Amino acid sequence: MRPRWRKVFSDLVDNKARTLLVVLSIAVGVFAIGVIVGAYKIIEADMGKSYAANNPANIEIRMSSFDDVFLSTLRKVDGVKQAEARRVFGVRIRPLGETQWTSINIITMQSFEENEINLLVPVSGATVPLKNEILLEQDILDEFDVSSGDTIEFQLSDETIKTIRVVGIVQDSSTDAIDFLSPPLGYISPKTLRFFKQPEDSFNRLYATVETGQDDEDHIKSVLAALKDKIEKNDYFAWRTFHSKTHEHPLESTVNAVLGILMALGILIMFLSSSLIANTLSALLNQHLRHIGVMKLLGGRDEIIFRMYLVLLLAFGLLSLLIAVPAGGQGAYALAKYVGDKMGFSLLGYRIVPLALYIQIAVGMLVPLVAGFVPVIKGSKVTVQKALSGDLARESGEQAEKGAERESRTERFQLKLTRLLVDRGIRIPRPLLISLRNTFRQRNRLILTLFTLTMGGAIFVSVFNVRVSLRNYVQVVGNYFLADVTIGFAKPYRLNEVEQFALTDPRVASVEGWAFASAEILDVDGSNADNMDILAPPAESKLVSPLLVEGRWIQKTDVKKIAISESIYHTYPDLKAGDKILIKINGREEYWEVVGIFKFVGMEGTIAYAPYEYISREQNMANRSSSYRILSNNHDRSHQDILAKDIDLYFRENGFQVTDTTPGLSMMDDASESLDILIAFLLIMAMLTATVGSMGLAGTMSMNVLERTREIGIMRAIGATDFEIIRMVLVEGLLIGIISFGLSIILAIPFTYLLSTIVSYATFETPIAVVFTPTGYFIWLGLVVILSVLASVIPARNAARLTIREVLAYE
Amino acid sequence: MTQENEKPLIELNKVVKNYTTEAGVFPALKGIDLHIQRGEFLGIIGKSGAGKSTLLNMFTGVDQITSGEVIIHANGKSVTLHEMSENELALWRGRTMGVIYQSFQLLPMLTLVQNVMMPMDMSGLYHPRKSRERALELLEMVELSEHAHKLPTYISGGQQQRVAIARALANDPPLLVADEPTGSLDSVTADHIFQLFENLVESGRTVVMVTHDKGLMPRFSRHVEIVDGELIAPSPSGRRLGWGQEGIK
Amino acid sequence: MTDRSQPQLASLSEKPLIEMQQIVKTFVNAAGEFTALRGIDLTLNEGEFVAIIGKSGSGKSTLLNMLTGIDHPSTGKVIVKGVDVYAMSESKRSLWRGRNLGIVFQFFQLLPMLNLLENVMLPMDYVGMYGIDERPKKAMELLRMVGLEEHAQKLPRAVSTGQQQSAAIARALSTDAPIIVADEPTGNLDSRSASHIIDLFDELSSRGKTIVMVTHDPSMTKRTSRTVVISDGILVNETIAQALPLLSQALMKELSEKVEKIHFQPSETILRSKESVEKFFMIAKGKVDIILQGRRKEDLVISQLSANDFFGEIELIRGGKSIASVRAAADEPVELLAISREDFGWLMKESPLTEKAIGNIVQKRLEEKKQADRRKKRKLLGR
Repeated sequence: MRPRWRKVFSDLVDNKARTLLVVLSIAVGVFAIGVIVGAYKIIEADMGKSYAANNPANIEIRMSSFDDVFLSTLRKVDGVKQAEARRVFGVRIRPLGETQWTSINIITMQSFEENEINLLVPVSGATVPLKNEILLEQDILDEFDVSSGDTIEFQLSDETIKTIRVVGIVQDSSTDAIDFLSPPLGYISPKTLRFFKQPEDSFNRLYATVETGQDDEDHIKSVLAALKDKIEKNDYFAWRTFHSKTHEHPLESTVNAVLGILMALGILIMFLSSSLIANTLSALLNQHLRHIGVMKLLGGRDEIIFRMYLVLLLAFGLLSLLIAVPAGGQGAYALAKYVGDKMGFSLLGYRIVPLALYIQIAVGMLVPLVAGFVPVIKGSKVTVQKALSGDLARESGEQAEKGAERESRTERFQLKLTRLLVDRGIRIPRPLLISLRNTFRQRNRLILTLFTLTMGGAIFVSVFNVRVSLRNYVQVVGNYFLADVTIGFAKPYRLNEVEQFALTDPRVASVEGWAFASAEILDVDGSNADNMDILAPPAESKLVSPLLVEGRWIQKTDVKKIAISESIYHTYPDLKAGDKILIKINGREEYWEVVGIFKFVGMEGTIAYAPYEYISREQNMANRSSSYRILSNNHDRSHQDILAKDIDLYFRENGFQVTDTTPGLSMMDDASESLDILIAFLLIMAMLTATVGSMGLAGTMSMNVLERTREIGIMRAIGATDFEIIRMVLVEGLLIGIISFGLSIILAIPFTYLLSTIVSYATFETPIAVVFTPTGYFIWLGLVVILSVLASVIPARNAARLTIREVLAYE
Repeated sequence: MTQENEKPLIELNKVVKNYTTEAGVFPALKGIDLHIQRGEFLGIIGKSGAGKSTLLNMFTGVDQITSGEVIIHANGKSVTLHEMSENELALWRGRTMGVIYQSFQLLPMLTLVQNVMMPMDMSGLYHPRKSRERALELLEMVELSEHAHKLPTYISGGQQQRVAIARALANDPPLLVADEPTGSLDSVTADHIFQLFENLVESGRTVVMVTHDKGLMPRFSRHVEIVDGELIAPSPSGRRLGWGQEGIK
Repeated sequence: MTDRSQPQLASLSEKPLIEMQQIVKTFVNAAGEFTALRGIDLTLNEGEFVAIIGKSGSGKSTLLNMLTGIDHPSTGKVIVKGVDVYAMSESKRSLWRGRNLGIVFQFFQLLPMLNLLENVMLPMDYVGMYGIDERPKKAMELLRMVGLEEHAQKLPRAVSTGQQQSAAIARALSTDAPIIVADEPTGNLDSRSASHIIDLFDELSSRGKTIVMVTHDPSMTKRTSRTVVISDGILVNETIAQALPLLSQALMKELSEKVEKIHFQPSETILRSKESVEKFFMIAKGKVDIILQGRRKEDLVISQLSANDFFGEIELIRGGKSIASVRAAADEPVELLAISREDFGWLMKESPLTEKAIGNIVQKRLEEKKQADRRKKRKLLGR
């Protein structure tokens, strides 16, 4: 090997700690990019494919009970390829010996063997349940532990408790794919229906696929319209319809939006790590000045030196790729798998994503080049005199010739400040003064360190703020569901009857019976635009406190008037209060007036409110309801849980057919939980940036200590103990940490706004109000203090360990 | 070539070097005129701070000149040092002179033979394979061939300085410049190194050495003394013969 | 350590302050072993201004490092003010050093981020000397003493190197340590600044501080009260170093191994006139009288020689008998170092400078003797 390459090689190998620091800091960024790009591509490909693999229904219609005969009629509708009928009903289950019930939806398949739509993927145990056996979807595992062969208890709406054997766990990535908040699913054969006291040979859901144009939304919609038409013409009632493409998971755009946010953070991390590299490289070049001087003295020209260090940079890049590419590949798969599990789709197996690989290689090679370019150019252009003077002038004793220099502006400022403080009687002890001034000595290095650490901190704090903002938003949304307990019955009961029973419990303050209706919003041309759920609380309900964007809330006397959620803007972007829209309700097309528009979570279709007084009359259910909201004086979660249980029991004991009782906030919790997944991702990214930041700090501190070994020797010589030396370094590290914390506080404000806007658009399709929380600030303060101490403790200990001879000896 | 031989190897004409600082202008060299002939073993003697290293930096071209000129007639070319760019200078220097420092300045991560090969690698005067052979020969000359594949830290100071000399000879330069080459060595080792320089002068090379050690004076073929940036005439020995404790009362 | 606040009174009492016993320092590296110090015994007394001189590589800085506790001896002990320096941990030694030794370095003297005043205060902070409000005053006094009062608020970089060294001395004094140790304090300075620094040391020495200074410049020895020469890890006999300063240090070292010690009682005769002389003598301790003996036993003292002087050279160079008698002075015993004729001849051959210088002395002394003879004659005649 030529001596110059030999030198480059040694530079790489000899100082392993430094090489590791540089390589790791490149690798962190490349890893983050690799994970996100890889996961993005894997999810993009597998989400659709695995979704399509189970032959998902293009059309789902929830309708009134129908039978085999009508099913065959529907199968004949034009464009329909396959159609299957199922019966879906809710029960509550729990493992034996548990007290907590979990609501699930049970799907009855006509035949597990012949089933063609929404295929089940076996996870463990059997795939075909026999009589009085049940399969469970793997989501149930989030609620409690169960495996095939176990026996569980279930409870029907009439209070009956029975047991049933679980024979298998399956994955169903199609049913309810659109709604990742839907309850877990169970599957039984028609022979088991009687066991659940359900009517046999009767279905309430239709799943269908289309013949052609499986990914053509308009075509699917037209087939759906034809089916609905058929249903209504035969006096059946379709109260809810869904449609989706075969090769696109219904939640794909949401997932992509989340990944997009993560991508932005990944790029940020890349930036931070490149500033870290620039830092380390310029320190390295500084340490190498003498070598550069010697090489130039021996005839080395700028180009040769430049090329040598360029190769060193590329080597750093290559090494980091060796770490980051495999780790990134694994990380990408793990992330994709996590998302897949949460969203209910499976992956097609581990693989390296070529695009991610290319991007990683490009980034891994470019970042060190870009970050190191300036230091390397500077280093290779340095004159021999300058390169050797730091070292040689001292040794040959010619320093005196240089004479005195003037202090820099910063130094003069520091001196003046110290004097000013002394004049005020504030005396900073010299050891502390040393730490303070040392902090500002390497200005560029300090700026880069602060930059990375501050960014890490700001993102960290912002993530907490965003988390609270999202929760707060969910809370606001919760204002539409204020009830402490919601109780549902299998059939309508009279309002005053339910009220009477409920009020016997002293904890109950008031009871409201609500009505519901489904409708479709129609485009001006009469085509189906969107589903709309109409909730009908009493107009004076205390349980809804809407956030009106426009117009007014519902009134008792309203007829054919609704207050509608913001998502109406998707269909009618220019809608104003007072306008009329065409809706299809109870099979009739009618113009209803929009009296107000309110904010709501835009996740699932459009929601509208109309007064109970009008809707119940229309449904011939005046003064009756099957869904009641109970308000208590105490809104604690635990109180609500107990109350729900007691009310549930009380109504059942009194002969009411209760289907479900929900404590008020549990729905919110589910919503928050799914947001927490997103928050968790954001936190992981925040931790990564914090890691890069503290790596930067650790690097800076060890460089600082390394460059000041001589000074440490002097301090030792004039009486500094180990404690003094360690304290000096620690205080400097802490100071940098605290400064960065101060800056993070400020920077976190715009970051929070930016991040929460992006996140809320991605998830709710509407901006949310930003809320700040001290939690993130406190945690980050604690973290930054710990990180700073950790980052300086090793350099500090090394500094204390240096003997004076090592640093001052020159004999 | 014949014409070249009539000229001195190095001409320093009215060389002035000032360091400008906030405190004012500090004159380090106050108009030095010095001609160095081929084959000379010139000692530049001065105390710390007298300006001797600055003077050395003037004809290695390592430092900028304030006024005056340094002309070097070597390798068939006459070169006015401070008219060259830093880059040209680097290549020229590598081919024309070997520089030896008190602190050896070996690259710590390279073995001895690689250190000696470095100037040849940089100047491109020798083919890589040839340069290795030559480096080994040079190490043999300084009696270090058995250590050729060791790192500098694993040999003694005197041995390191011998390697530095071998490295200075790598491109076969006509001129060797040494800045206190024996400064950090014990007396016996220092003497060996000095003998090495004497042998090199005998074999026809020109050596310029900077030192503060007046005891070396008789061993140079010529010496000049520098005091506060000026050359003073060679003094007869015993100028400072103070007999402070002389006891005749 | 306890009465450090009391400034030491000037006294040249022979009280050992620093004792180095059989110090050996061997550096081991991959290149092999290198013994920098080969068994050094050295006692320094309170109030002395000692120069340790030696060339680069002689071991002088290593010796200093042994004294300051900066480096460990391989074997041997260093006792400073009764404290065994190497029985302490490195960290404790640091504190001890801060209180007992003021160290002045050749390079990197001051901390670059502190102004001169703060630099001087730093050791006080480290060892907890004086009250926190008193420190600036004390430091300012010290800076005034070294003439840097007006520069107190400047960073080291903004003053000349000579001033930096002065400030470093002020710092060395800041904890009122009884011992000042300086490693080549003038090595980095132009001659004027150097002489200013030595003046400072002089003054400190007169105030009772013990000063140990390492230098490679033999001319510095003129200003010190004692000179210790080290060569290749061995201390050169101090008498030789003082008596024959023009010898190279290597020769001094070699000579140290050749000399013979001879003791004489007060008034004991060392050499008789006309006796043949086979040795060259240097006076290590005490005084000798040079006497011209009259016929009637009327002795005429023509000269008195004291420590570090020599005699016997005339006879060795010119061959011949002693031209005068030499007797130990009456008040104290005398210790002499003797060199054989052979060795003396070797020495003259090895060191032409010394030969020449001694030649000059011979001339002078012969001249003086001639005059004395004349005086004696005149005296005789006049009577």
